[in-house]
Amino acid sequence: MSVLSVRNLRVRYTAKGPEILKGIDFDVEGDDFLAMIGPSGAGKSTLIRCVNRLVEPTGGQITLLGQDVCALNARQLRGLRRNVGMIFQEFNLINRMSVMDNVLSGRLGYTSNIRSLFRHFPKKDISQALDYLDRVGLGDHINKRADELSGGQRQRVGIARALMQQPKLLLLDEPTSALDPKISREVMALILSIAKELGVPTLCNIHDVQLAKEFCNRIIGLQDGHKKFDGATATLRESDLEEIYAMEVL
Amino acid sequence: MAIVQCHSNGLPLQIDTQIGLRRKRQMRMALIWGGFLLFAAWCLNGTIVEDTDWSRIGGRNGVFASLGRYLTIDWTLLPELIVPTIETFMMASVGTVLGCFFSLPVAWLGAVNVTPNKTILYPLARFLMVISRSVHEIVWALIFVSAVGLGALPGVLAIAMRSVGFISKITAEAIENIDAKPVEAIRATGGNEFQVMYYGILPQIYPVVLATVIFEWDINIRRSAVMGLVGAGGLGLLFFRQMNSFNYGGVSMVILSILLLIVLGEIISHYLRKAVI
Repeated sequence: MSVLSVRNLRVRYTAKGPEILKGIDFDVEGDDFLAMIGPSGAGKSTLIRCVNRLVEPTGGQITLLGQDVCALNARQLRGLRRNVGMIFQEFNLINRMSVMDNVLSGRLGYTSNIRSLFRHFPKKDISQALDYLDRVGLGDHINKRADELSGGQRQRVGIARALMQQPKLLLLDEPTSALDPKISREVMALILSIAKELGVPTLCNIHDVQLAKEFCNRIIGLQDGHKKFDGATATLRESDLEEIYAMEVL
Repeated sequence: MAIVQCHSNGLPLQIDTQIGLRRKRQMRMALIWGGFLLFAAWCLNGTIVEDTDWSRIGGRNGVFASLGRYLTIDWTLLPELIVPTIETFMMASVGTVLGCFFSLPVAWLGAVNVTPNKTILYPLARFLMVISRSVHEIVWALIFVSAVGLGALPGVLAIAMRSVGFISKITAEAIENIDAKPVEAIRATGGNEFQVMYYGILPQIYPVVLATVIFEWDINIRRSAVMGLVGAGGLGLLFFRQMNSFNYGGVSMVILSILLLIVLGEIISHYLRKAVI
């Protein structure tokens, strides 16, 4: 059974506004490192945010880890979100907190209010955070403030924070588009190797087709809220790309 | 229409239109200034010419003699000043802290992006902010003196009430201006509403809030110095007594200590602000 399955997903932000997603179907399997490509405004970010309901779908069905996402109440939804790590385009770190506290904040879904009030995280969380920080190569920056780091380093903090959740699915929303090409490759390679190591399926929005081809085993092409392509990376042809990016050429 | 003509007919007419336009503007300025001067004269007549008891002033020398009485300083008052000065300082500090506590829920309800209810609680919070600021601290003190009696407590309450408006308004605006991205990230980890506020919002607003509170404390020292005028303790009470017993040197002495206290507050808040920002 697939980890995530999306059926006929539709989204409008306002009742009378344009439909952003117009009936999307796809599945993510246990060993997928799946890229979602498409021009700006195609609905990639909206789609990825529907998976953990940061955006409320207006129609369709999402089944994640055997649960019907749209039917969950607030408490159940928080329980589900704990299992889904998310890495963001602009890192979304808490700038005034230390790198360590940022990474620990990935555990908030598992932490009581009293503990979080005093930032009193369990010892095993702290040692886990140290391990992950070491793994992403930030062992020397643990006590710095997040806003003292460079872009690539900040994204590594974001990766460690997502890993702290012990995720069963990783969502990446344009993880490299705020980074330069060299750092982008390093960050993608790091995420890929960790995802393989931990066996976590990954869904990744990315507008850089080259990066998608290089790192992902499967590609979904979106255009203007429609799915235009879905298949293994090797089967993506130039003509498919032309169709996906047709609007942009015009 | 003149502008259209000058385009088609060339230079001489353009000059005429220009002069015409300038004359019109001069006329308008003259009218505005004339109206303003008339209004000012009317105000002056109402407040000073008709409202002053000219017979009691009794000439230029009388005025200077009255003012001159304040130039002496009654140093014998010094031992009596120490306790009220400390009390004034404490009233300002406790009032500010209390005001902060009152401000928290008001700011939360009054920030449009986090308020739990936009139709009732949000307007209510905004209304509280306006009430707090539109009622003068002396009026607040009068209300609390009649409610809890004389002493420092009504002063503390008055200062707290008066502080809520400013602190909560600035805090609510800071909450409205936060970057939504860290909030989204905390929500995505499965954090609850409290954790979203504490980790996503608070770190972003606290420098602004702290600076505002320090500024308000600075102002509150000034406010608490006059609280005693209506019986709410501190230096103001002493001031009032010196005034009533016509001890002008004593009045000057109290004013001097208020001045010193305010300078002290200014110095402390300067260093506090530096430490925060």
